[in-house]
Amino acid sequence: MSTISVLQEGPVNALALNKDNSQVAIGGRNVFKVYSIEEDCFKEICNLRASKHLNLSFSCNDVAWSSTDDNYLATAATNGHVCVWNLTKSGKAMQEQVYQEHKRTVNKVNFHSSEPYRLISGSQDGTMRYFDMRCKAAVATFLSNTESVRDVQFSPHMPHTFAAVSENGSVQLWDVRRTEKCIQQFTAHSGPIFACDWHPEATWLATASRDKTIKVWDLTTSKPTLDYTIHTIASIGHVKWRPQRKYHIASCALVVDCSINIWDIRRPFIPFAAFNEHKDIASGVAWRGDSQVFLSTSRDCSLIQHSFKDASRPASKANIQALDISTKGNTLFGMRVPVSTNTTKPTGLMRKSSTSTISDQFHQSASVLHQFTHVSVCNDLSSFEFLAKNYILYGRSFPEMCEHNAAVAKECGKSNISTIWKIVNTMYGELYVKIQAMHNNGGLNLMNNVDASSTEKKNNDVVGEAAAAQFSSADDDVEGEDQVDHTAVANGYHTYNKYGHPKGDFSFGENELDLELDALSIDYRNGMRNQNQLQQQEDWTLPNEAFNIRHEIRDRSPPPEQFPNNNSPDFNDDSHSSTVDEQPTWLVSVSKIPPMPIWDPSASLIESLKHHAEKGDVQTSVSVLIVLGEHRKNLKTLDENTVTHWLMGYIQTLERFRLWNVKALVIELAWIPSISQMNQQSTRINTNCSQCLKPLQRSGWLCDRCHSTDASRCSICHQVVKGLYVWCQGCSHGGHLMHMQEWFSKNKQCPTGCGHLCEYR
Amino acid sequence: MTSLLNSIDTGHEDMIHDAEVDYYGLRLATCSSDHSVKVYDIKNGAHNLIDDLKGHFGPVWQIAWSHPMFGNLLASCSYDRKVIIWKETQGKWSKYYEYANHDSSVNSVQFAPAEFGLILACGSSDGSISILTYQSETNNWDAKKIQNAHTIGCNAVSWCPAITPEPAFDSNHVGPMQKRLVSGGCDNLVKIWKEEDDKWVEEKKLEVHSDWVRDVAWAPSVGLSRHTVASCSQDRRVVIWTSEDCQSWSSNILQTFDDVVWNVSWSLNGNILAVSGGDNKISLWKQNLDGAWKCISDVTKGQATNNEQRAL
Repeated sequence: MSTISVLQEGPVNALALNKDNSQVAIGGRNVFKVYSIEEDCFKEICNLRASKHLNLSFSCNDVAWSSTDDNYLATAATNGHVCVWNLTKSGKAMQEQVYQEHKRTVNKVNFHSSEPYRLISGSQDGTMRYFDMRCKAAVATFLSNTESVRDVQFSPHMPHTFAAVSENGSVQLWDVRRTEKCIQQFTAHSGPIFACDWHPEATWLATASRDKTIKVWDLTTSKPTLDYTIHTIASIGHVKWRPQRKYHIASCALVVDCSINIWDIRRPFIPFAAFNEHKDIASGVAWRGDSQVFLSTSRDCSLIQHSFKDASRPASKANIQALDISTKGNTLFGMRVPVSTNTTKPTGLMRKSSTSTISDQFHQSASVLHQFTHVSVCNDLSSFEFLAKNYILYGRSFPEMCEHNAAVAKECGKSNISTIWKIVNTMYGELYVKIQAMHNNGGLNLMNNVDASSTEKKNNDVVGEAAAAQFSSADDDVEGEDQVDHTAVANGYHTYNKYGHPKGDFSFGENELDLELDALSIDYRNGMRNQNQLQQQEDWTLPNEAFNIRHEIRDRSPPPEQFPNNNSPDFNDDSHSSTVDEQPTWLVSVSKIPPMPIWDPSASLIESLKHHAEKGDVQTSVSVLIVLGEHRKNLKTLDENTVTHWLMGYIQTLERFRLWNVKALVIELAWIPSISQMNQQSTRINTNCSQCLKPLQRSGWLCDRCHSTDASRCSICHQVVKGLYVWCQGCSHGGHLMHMQEWFSKNKQCPTGCGHLCEYR
Repeated sequence: MTSLLNSIDTGHEDMIHDAEVDYYGLRLATCSSDHSVKVYDIKNGAHNLIDDLKGHFGPVWQIAWSHPMFGNLLASCSYDRKVIIWKETQGKWSKYYEYANHDSSVNSVQFAPAEFGLILACGSSDGSISILTYQSETNNWDAKKIQNAHTIGCNAVSWCPAITPEPAFDSNHVGPMQKRLVSGGCDNLVKIWKEEDDKWVEEKKLEVHSDWVRDVAWAPSVGLSRHTVASCSQDRRVVIWTSEDCQSWSSNILQTFDDVVWNVSWSLNGNILAVSGGDNKISLWKQNLDGAWKCISDVTKGQATNNEQRAL
């Protein structure tokens, strides 16, 4: 069966199916029709409003179809009439009975399920009336003692019992034979109850209320128990249990929600299924005898037959998982887990079927929230914090900072970052400075007083270390080729040709090139020396030696570019060095050598910094740039936008880690105006009156509240200061800028005589 | 590589749909079908419940923390068509603002980068995206709506970070930074939106997915020279979109997974992508030097029971 619909002239308030579910009667203010339900359409059988004698009793709040005789319909009219219609007749005669007994509008009519001719009505006047269609008047009247009865329903289990629900939130159970007093009464909701429905099999009564809940009551005992509560998004106007599905109930809202929701009462938070075909509030639901099809009417003037296969499943659209990576790098993962409601232990004989029906699983819904940690991710983040805290970015000499930072990086296992620092030190530290100096001095050799033996020793040490490091990264197959190269290349070095060493490539990232920079930097140096036939040794990285020279040359302009980069050895291309037959270097001391050409490492450094930034590690890039200080001038091709971007990124990340001091330091050390301005933003000084402590709002010198100007008097002339007011932050005394200046040119103590040795900076 | 650190007992009575750690990693919020939002303190790895926020009348789908410069704000969106912004004042959480102008379930909320101000984007099943901007002068929220952003519904929204590869604050380009967001929906599309003259316009429509797009995430671009967006879909694929200028985007299918992919989430630096799928697996991805994405970790925990779709 498919979804079919038919449009009416006006809003439809209610519907009722006949005994065999082949026909449907619908009623509204201007609508009163009977349709037969065909395979793919509704066929109008009878329009009861076609009569010429229309009056208000044709206007239906509710319609009911006799469950015993297919020819009888009953309607609840807005004018308080209860009408019984005989479909076998025509014209005016169809209206077989009109009971004009209710004083106000009738909300509901309901036929007795087994006794023919019997029906009950519930009205806004607070009464219920029991009718026998063969009698002209009600056979019984029940006073609810409430303002209005919204729904009445005969119990399918107890033939004489009906339930009535009221706007005051109470449920009453009545025996039709006893009019004087209800059998049972209880308050079910805090707001008006608009509908109720008896469960076809269980002894449950569902009640629906304006308080946005549907409650399921077990009425087996004298004291009703609340078994389930469903929380919906809007006031509920109607509820109807789904046949053949014990836990399912259909509901439609009075406001907001135009969809018809089917709930599993065991999962009260989200509908099992939703039908969104209506464009306005649905006014009634009737199941067509089986669980897959139901009909509904709506204020949007339509009658729709819904098929369950077209249902939408809100729960299936829901994200069943939660995922987040925390600042600390932990992964939070919430996921759905199957819940077993089966608490009884399965016996050996009764093996529980592993494929329980799918709808049985719907209500079993819960999640667990796990926190996972991923070693490398967490390490990255914790070392970020460590590095940020321990890097030295100012106040020491360049080589000292590089050495320190390299050591810090190494300490937290970031050998690649450590390497960068060492390279930077090598490239821009002492050597670079000396080369510059040399160049500028026209080739004067400043570096021939080398203690060769100590250098040799040191060299051996570092190379050995490098070799060890090299072995630790033996899985790094990228290096294989290079090693072969190097063995051939470095045959001049007795220490090198045993192991070879890796290419001076700056790509340390993914491969975790675990090499020691000492080796690398020696390699570079050798490259340079090879190129220049400069045969001498020196421990270039000895920091204390660099100290003075560095300061002398600090403000020199960057080296002239008369030696283009492509003539000098590139880090990525150490094959240069291979072409030169190397001599043991420590034996020779040359007193006069040609000037060393200036090789500008900037391009490589920029590459390297960019590479780190790309990997998400702006920390290294930014820290190196800060430490470089004046050398930054050499990095001409590094555009300001990129650097600003890195700085912003680093600052933001520091903020996340709440490393405020580091953040402030980075901002302070930033050489880009838009960044360094950040420290000057949003600093505010609030002044409060010294008498009443009220903030001074309008002016800085007069308190609005106590009209005191004491706070702003000059301690020297005792006049109110209306312009610049300077004060000592130690004793908080102050006054006119001129007066204070004058005073402190001669005195050290506060002019008020408070004894404070004021400090003005 | 990946190990279970701990499990957090949330006490939620139904499924958990979202869990978010705040800006500093000090607090955790979770939301569930059981209509509630819970806030926890994270101290030494332990999670202590601070508050249970009740105000929604339907399952709560997603939550979002604001930048701390606006105070402790938490936004939540629900099946009940509402967006609630909660505020903590002196340790107590209360409803700060409620937005009820969607005609269907609100599936996604996300605060804009703080540089733009206090702005919240909300994606709904009614197909529209709302952008709520706090006006400090009037102490009110101004709402702009992108109608029909995605037919049938919008499932996810994510903001472009304010620190973008082309910073807008160089001297030649003075003016407000460009606000952008990405959304994914039931029309299988990923769309890039930008604010232009006070209106939100579609900048780009990205078509690759062949089923509902479940989540989108714009990568934090700390240090990266391009924009990166990850999207995941019911078609079991995760797509990484990259662009230099937000005009031309290239797509790169990360992988076709065994089940629906529900979530994509970037790490702080935007260099690690976490993906979770219907098979209850999470995997972490990292880009290698050649630009290829490599799975660095894979965790399976239990089996999913997502077969209720066929239940009748």
